[in-house]
Amino acid sequence: MSSGATDTARRRLVVVGSGMAATRLVEELVAAGTDLRITVLGDEPAPPYNRILLSAVLEGTHRPEAITLRSAEWYADHGIDLRLGARVLEIERELKDVMLVDGTIVEYDALVLATGSIPTLPPIRGLVRMDGSLHEAVHAFRSLADCERLRDAASSAGARRAVVVGGGLLGLQVARALGVRGIETEIVEGGEHLLHQQLGSTAGRILARDLERLGVSVYTGVRAVRLEDAPAGTGLRLDNGVTLDTDLVVLAAGGRPSTALARRAGLEVRRGVVVDDRLASVSDPDVFGIGDCVEHEGRTTGFVPPAWEQAAVLAGVLTGRPVKYDGSRIVARLRATDLDVAVLGDPEHEARVGGDVVEMSNPVRGSHRKLVVRDGRIVAGALVGDLSRVGLITQHYDRQTVLGPTEPGELLLAERSARPVQLPDDAEVCTCAGVTAGAIRACSSLEQARDTTRATTGCGGCAAAVRQLLLATPATTGVPQ
Amino acid sequence: MTPETEAVRTHCPYCSLQCGMSLQKQGRAALEVQPWPDFPVNEGALCRKGWTAVGLRGSRERLTTPLVKDRVTGELRAAGWDEALDLVAGRVRDLQAAHGKDAIAVFGGGGLTNEKAYQLGKFARVALGTSQIDYNGRWCMSSAASAGNQAFGVDRGLPFPLADVEHADVVVLVGSNLAETIPPAARHLDRLRERGGRLVVIDPRRTLTAERADLFLQPVPGTDLALALGILHLLDAQGAVDEEYVAARTTGWADVRRSVASWWPERVERTTGVAADDLRELAGLLAGAERAVVLTARGAEQHAQGTATVLSWINVALALGMPGKRFAGYGCLTGQGNGQGGREHGQKADQLPGYRMIDDPAARDHVAAVWGVDPASLPGRGRSAYELLESLGTDDGAKALLVLGSNIVVSAPNAVRVTEWLEALDLLVVCDIVMSETAALADVVLPVTQWAEETGTMTNLEGRVILRQQAAAPPAGVRSDLDVIAGLAERLGSPIPFSTEPEEIFAELGRASAGGKADYAGISYDRIRAEQGVFWPCPAPSHPGTPRLFADAFATPDGRARFLAQEFAGAAEQPDRAYPVHLTTGRVLAQYQSGAQTRRIRDLPDTGPFVEMHPMLAARVGARDGEPVLVRTRRGEMKAPARVVDTIRPDTVFVPFHWVGANRLTNDALDPSSRMPEFKVCAASVTS
Repeated sequence: MSSGATDTARRRLVVVGSGMAATRLVEELVAAGTDLRITVLGDEPAPPYNRILLSAVLEGTHRPEAITLRSAEWYADHGIDLRLGARVLEIERELKDVMLVDGTIVEYDALVLATGSIPTLPPIRGLVRMDGSLHEAVHAFRSLADCERLRDAASSAGARRAVVVGGGLLGLQVARALGVRGIETEIVEGGEHLLHQQLGSTAGRILARDLERLGVSVYTGVRAVRLEDAPAGTGLRLDNGVTLDTDLVVLAAGGRPSTALARRAGLEVRRGVVVDDRLASVSDPDVFGIGDCVEHEGRTTGFVPPAWEQAAVLAGVLTGRPVKYDGSRIVARLRATDLDVAVLGDPEHEARVGGDVVEMSNPVRGSHRKLVVRDGRIVAGALVGDLSRVGLITQHYDRQTVLGPTEPGELLLAERSARPVQLPDDAEVCTCAGVTAGAIRACSSLEQARDTTRATTGCGGCAAAVRQLLLATPATTGVPQ
Repeated sequence: MTPETEAVRTHCPYCSLQCGMSLQKQGRAALEVQPWPDFPVNEGALCRKGWTAVGLRGSRERLTTPLVKDRVTGELRAAGWDEALDLVAGRVRDLQAAHGKDAIAVFGGGGLTNEKAYQLGKFARVALGTSQIDYNGRWCMSSAASAGNQAFGVDRGLPFPLADVEHADVVVLVGSNLAETIPPAARHLDRLRERGGRLVVIDPRRTLTAERADLFLQPVPGTDLALALGILHLLDAQGAVDEEYVAARTTGWADVRRSVASWWPERVERTTGVAADDLRELAGLLAGAERAVVLTARGAEQHAQGTATVLSWINVALALGMPGKRFAGYGCLTGQGNGQGGREHGQKADQLPGYRMIDDPAARDHVAAVWGVDPASLPGRGRSAYELLESLGTDDGAKALLVLGSNIVVSAPNAVRVTEWLEALDLLVVCDIVMSETAALADVVLPVTQWAEETGTMTNLEGRVILRQQAAAPPAGVRSDLDVIAGLAERLGSPIPFSTEPEEIFAELGRASAGGKADYAGISYDRIRAEQGVFWPCPAPSHPGTPRLFADAFATPDGRARFLAQEFAGAAEQPDRAYPVHLTTGRVLAQYQSGAQTRRIRDLPDTGPFVEMHPMLAARVGARDGEPVLVRTRRGEMKAPARVVDTIRPDTVFVPFHWVGANRLTNDALDPSSRMPEFKVCAASVTS
């Protein structure tokens, strides 16, 4: 091949993973016009898709075809070697290659770990069968395949009830999605309230009431301990002695960074693969990491926006630009019909470390809104059950706008749009012609108003107001003036 | 007693709606505006600008004699026409001899008639031989023009008559405050709603237009592009894409579909500040509409990503299968009076008449043949408006500038710099009707006719060619722009003569545009009078004109519309600690453009500039309604009274651009394709 010489001169980049972080990295590199020879190793069979929309697919608001991020052709068109169903077995850092489970060896000059996270299996007896597979009523919810399997199960004739284990963001979304599909759904959360990693107890309790209003039952402070066969379907035994009879059990008890490969390769791993400001492993400058699998400054994230910010920074690092990653602001937003939750940063933590808390709770309406403010800036917040001004609040948070002393409180109030009922005489009614209410009141008919003031002769928008004013004028104006 | 003279049918001097009106003579000199109820665009309605349009007639502020800057005192003094034109021609010759043909630049306007725009382009290329010509339309709708060309293969603001919107199910206005900027157009929206159609308005301010909307979305300035991506995401997610239409009439959908997969509603919410539920509501309205119309205006277009923004909204319309369908599609609400015609006939740096590209050899041959010159003598592509100004006085930039129909000092972005560049010129010549801020800087000012005193065609926002007819004699001492062009051409020894007869020039324009995209060959003054305007393309006298484009095919080589995937980058300048709010600019009802005309009309309230802000922001900075605040950006500052309203986003301030000030603040970041400056958003600070 004529391009062989240049091809071998180009640096080889191997990306392990084809999730949202990996896809974004490749997009950024393509946009930057990179000359890296890129190989993407994805262990799922489907082309890269938008994982965070899986609950929307389950709910039925998104067609599964609409969540594909990039087709296989796109990779081919840009000269990228996309290998699907390619699971990596080992990384050989001395040899600078990776081996796939089918024995294939792929050499790299630079390696990116974007392996994401893996769902946590809660300690429930009977969950896993002797052969290591999950009980047939049990569903994980991580991949498109999981989503499709659950959707099929939820649509089958025998499925009437479901229990979701885990009351975090994913658990709530899945529970709501199943509820929308007509499944009687219950949530079991071991913490004292829902979303306990993000919300305080008041907000969590209000959220639970919102969910119950939508037909989802919530059990908090209890753990599922045993899965057993029941007369009809399956029984999930809780540690308070209650058994929930169900047809489906969905595991949404959170995840942890997928670090097994890195650990075996001898890279430093704490909770995640430890990376520096250039997103390089602290153990090997040729190995990088982005997304859910990494730990930066002691933090792992589990959200898409930070993963994308890391992808953008790493694309810069790999193409020789002087960029650094210095952490991300996180807005966690629940995606589920009629269930309104937005969490900015870590409100419980920020409140504990001395932020001023401005909050408004309205259990009657089912809303709880709270902002944590430091030096005039919103450093965290939680909005439950009422998302008024969510767009503005997140703007202020993201941009760290310095607010005035009354602003945080005003942001939490609903927007008012009161209009005066009685227009004063000097109020302009017809903007096109510049006619005041007083001038209209001085007229006896619409025709007169039109001819003498030219009101209503422009955009026509004041016609109703003019008629109203003329109607309200006392009938005694028949007296000539 | 003299018999009452017949009223003259003409059109309002201001915006792109070009409302029909009648001018009735009252006595010897005065004119009165009367309705022309049959003209279909406005049906007799006018806004106060139209009703008071004759206010400049006989005004003491009209210029009636050429003015020449005295070399000793630096003051402008009255001069005769011959003296002034001789002076200009002599200086032009000297500068070209010393620095080459491109030492002279020409700056036109979107308010000039088609005939003037055409003659000006020809004058630049033939009499001056310069490539350096562009016009203020670059700062108007050029992003929509660029997008229209890319997606549909042609740029006509509206591809259908405006009244068609009445019959749609949903109309989406992106960045248009038409109830204040082209008020009579709002009647069509009211009829739409009476029929049960829905109106959606997208604007950082809850304007008078937004007050009429069924759904109002209030995005962060500069994020309309992300909003479009989010809407298309939802339409695809819901299966609302018209796959049959997409397959039969478009190309590029697969790429666009993938590009919006990553724009889920909550991400769009975080970027645009529009709640995810509002996005869903809009997507739901569009998904359920049989006939949807998407219209963009300056709010969406005047950005460094203006073209990409318009293309993304076109993608929404295409995905729904709307363009080419009756009572549906995409359109741009052009701003200036002849914003449409002014961009078709050779005022643009890269174009010859009829939308022909200046670097297309066939186009050069055709136009040169009509002009009777050697195609090789025509210069190539010049600089776009802002880049042209930026180059003034530099080594390879022009040393002299001739300005027609534009008040650059007020209307250009980063106006402090622009004023410096104009002052660096060896020669600035300005043709105007009054002493505009730009004329005040000139070495030579030439007084020209205004609308009621002249005849010529304009092309309105629908692509309808209409006729402006002379209703009164110009004041003594005033000449038409056409006379100025012809007089200079003659003095410069132009190889061809320049006519001053509008109808004759229009016939030549027809021949020059024949076979081009904007083909006027079949249009005549008589036909315009008889048919209440003729829509281009109209290639032959027997051709009925084309009110609706795209019914069968798009103007691309393969006849298909193009989906083009766009990436969102955000405004070029983002708020930061020093400049923490967004600044956006726009218009008010009683004023037009740089205000050179409307600020001088007594019956129009001249409020002066103001700074609109939300009570929350006002409280933060200690501003009170009516009291002055200082707005600062990296480029300049202005002081004006605060106008505290709850209709604007609390993170944004708004300043109208009709007065000196607003454009000292605005950002000159340019759109890569249209070269449109980012008038509509930059970072600012406000202090009281």
